Amino acid sequence: MPVRYNGLLYACGEALRSLGRNKWMTIASVGVVVVTLLMLGGFMMVNLNLEYITENVKEQVEIVLYLDDESTLAERNELREKLLAHGSLEEVRFVSKSEALQRLRKQMGDVVDGYEGREDNPLRDSFELKTKHPELVGAVAEELAGYPAVADVDYGEATVEKLFAATRAVQLVGLILMLGLAVTAVFLIAHTIRLTVFIRRREIMIMKYVGATNWFIRWPFLLEGLMIGLLGAALPLGALYYTYQASLEWVAANNLMFLTLLPIPIIMGELVKYLLPLGTGLGILGSAFSMDQFLRV
Amino acid sequence: MVEASKIYHRYDKNSGYALSNINFIIERGEFVFLVGPSGAGKSTLLKMIIREIIPTKGILKVFGHDVARMPRHRVPYLRRNIGMVFQDFRLLEERTAFENLAFAMRVTGASNRDIRRRVPYVLEMVGLPDKADARVCDLSGGEQQRIGLARAIINRPAMIIADEPTGNLDPDISFEIMHILRMINLRGTTVLVATHDREIVDRLKKRVIHLEQGRLTLDEEKGAYAGAL
Repeated sequence: MPVRYNGLLYACGEALRSLGRNKWMTIASVGVVVVTLLMLGGFMMVNLNLEYITENVKEQVEIVLYLDDESTLAERNELREKLLAHGSLEEVRFVSKSEALQRLRKQMGDVVDGYEGREDNPLRDSFELKTKHPELVGAVAEELAGYPAVADVDYGEATVEKLFAATRAVQLVGLILMLGLAVTAVFLIAHTIRLTVFIRRREIMIMKYVGATNWFIRWPFLLEGLMIGLLGAALPLGALYYTYQASLEWVAANNLMFLTLLPIPIIMGELVKYLLPLGTGLGILGSAFSMDQFLRV
Repeated sequence: MVEASKIYHRYDKNSGYALSNINFIIERGEFVFLVGPSGAGKSTLLKMIIREIIPTKGILKVFGHDVARMPRHRVPYLRRNIGMVFQDFRLLEERTAFENLAFAMRVTGASNRDIRRRVPYVLEMVGLPDKADARVCDLSGGEQQRIGLARAIINRPAMIIADEPTGNLDPDISFEIMHILRMINLRGTTVLVATHDREIVDRLKKRVIHLEQGRLTLDEEKGAYAGAL
C-alpha cells in the first residue's frame, strides 16, 4: 500500500474535511476516547503512585518490634542481646517513643501537636530491624513475636500487602470500567466512519469505476479514525498533566510529606507511552471495523 | 481484447441463467453495439468485463486475462484500462467539471501538473473547453454526459464501455454523444456500447451483438437493430 506524497496529502485533506462535515459525530467519538483515556490515565497515576509508595515503605523498614510498656529494663536488654545475636538480622536499631514522635511530627506537621509531654506520648518504644534477605521477613517476624518484652510485631510486608491489595482493587475496577468504555469508543468511531462512508458512497462507487485501489479509498477513512484517536489521547494527556501538577502542589502546600509522589516527567512519560498508542489504536480499530464491508472492490 | 467463450451466469442457484452460452470476440479498435431489450443481459455482460461480477461458467478474457482468475488487487488496474460511461452519468454533481476529471486522474496517482495539462485537453475533445469551472449540476444533460465521456477517456484507456449512454438524452444530443464516441474510436480506442436506441444503431452501421433473454441471438458486421427481428 505505497502512498505517494500527493496521495497522502489528498487523504489527509479528505479525512479533515469529513471530520468537519460530521462535526457532532466527531465530537462524540473524540469525547468517548477522551473519557476512556482520561479514566485510564487517572487510574494509571493512582496506581503508579501506589506502587511507588509501596516500594518506599518496603525499603524503609522491614520489621518493627514494639515493646511492651510494662517490660523491665532487664527484659529489654535480654531482647537486645538476642536480636544482635540473631543470624538473619543485619541491622538492629532502637527507636524510643520520643524519637518516634519527632519523626511523626516531621511527616505530619502540626497534627501531632499537643503530645509534647512524655507521659502523653501514645507511641511505644521499638526496635527497627533489617533482615539479611528480604524474603525471610515473614518467618523472622513470626519468630520474634514470641520473644520477651515484645508487645507487637509489624513488618513492612504487612503494610506492603495492604497497599498491594489496594492497588489490585483499583486496577480491577479501572480495568472493567475501561474495557466497557473502550468498546463504546470503538463502536462510536466505527459509527462515525460508517456515516462518512455512507455520505461519500457515490464518490466511492465512482472511485471504484475509475480504478482506485482499495487502499487509495481506505486511507482517508483510516486517517479519520486515527485523527479521532490522536485527538482523544492528546486532550486527556493535557488535562492529566495539569491535574497532576495541581495535586503535587496541593501535597506540598499541605505538608503531607509522607505522600512521596512520583515526579511529573516520570508519570507523564508513562502516560504518553500508553495513552497515545491506545488512542490511535482505538481510532484505527474503529475505522477498520466499518471499512471492509463497504470498501471492497 | 474481449474474448467470451461459453459464458453462463446466474445470480443465485435457484434463479435461471441471466446469460447462457455467450461466445464472441471483440478485437482492438472495434466499435460494437450490444443491443437487446431490458433484462436481456447487457448490463450483466458489461459488469463482467469490468469484473464487478464473475461468470458462473465459461471463460471471459479481457486484455488477455481471465477475469475470474484475476486476483482482487489487480482489478483496479483492469478498470483503469476501461473507461466507463453510464446512463445516469455518475458524476460528482456538487463539484466542477475540472474537479470531476481531476478526481479520476488523482485516483491513478497522477501529479497535479499532469492533471492541469490533461484536463483542458480532454474537455476540448468533448467540446466543452469553457466549462472547466462550471459545477456539474449547472450543466445540461448532454453536457453532463460529455463530462462523463471526458472522464472515461481521461486516463487513456484501451477500451470504453458505455451502458445506455444516451438513455436519458434527446435524440439530437444522443447523436452528438455518439459522434464523440466515434471520434474516440477513430483514435484507436475500442468502444462497446450497450443500448436499445434503435435509431442510433441503425444509423451508425457498426457491428451489432444481439442479446435476448440471456442468449446471443445475432452477431453481425455493419448490422442494424432491426436485424434481431
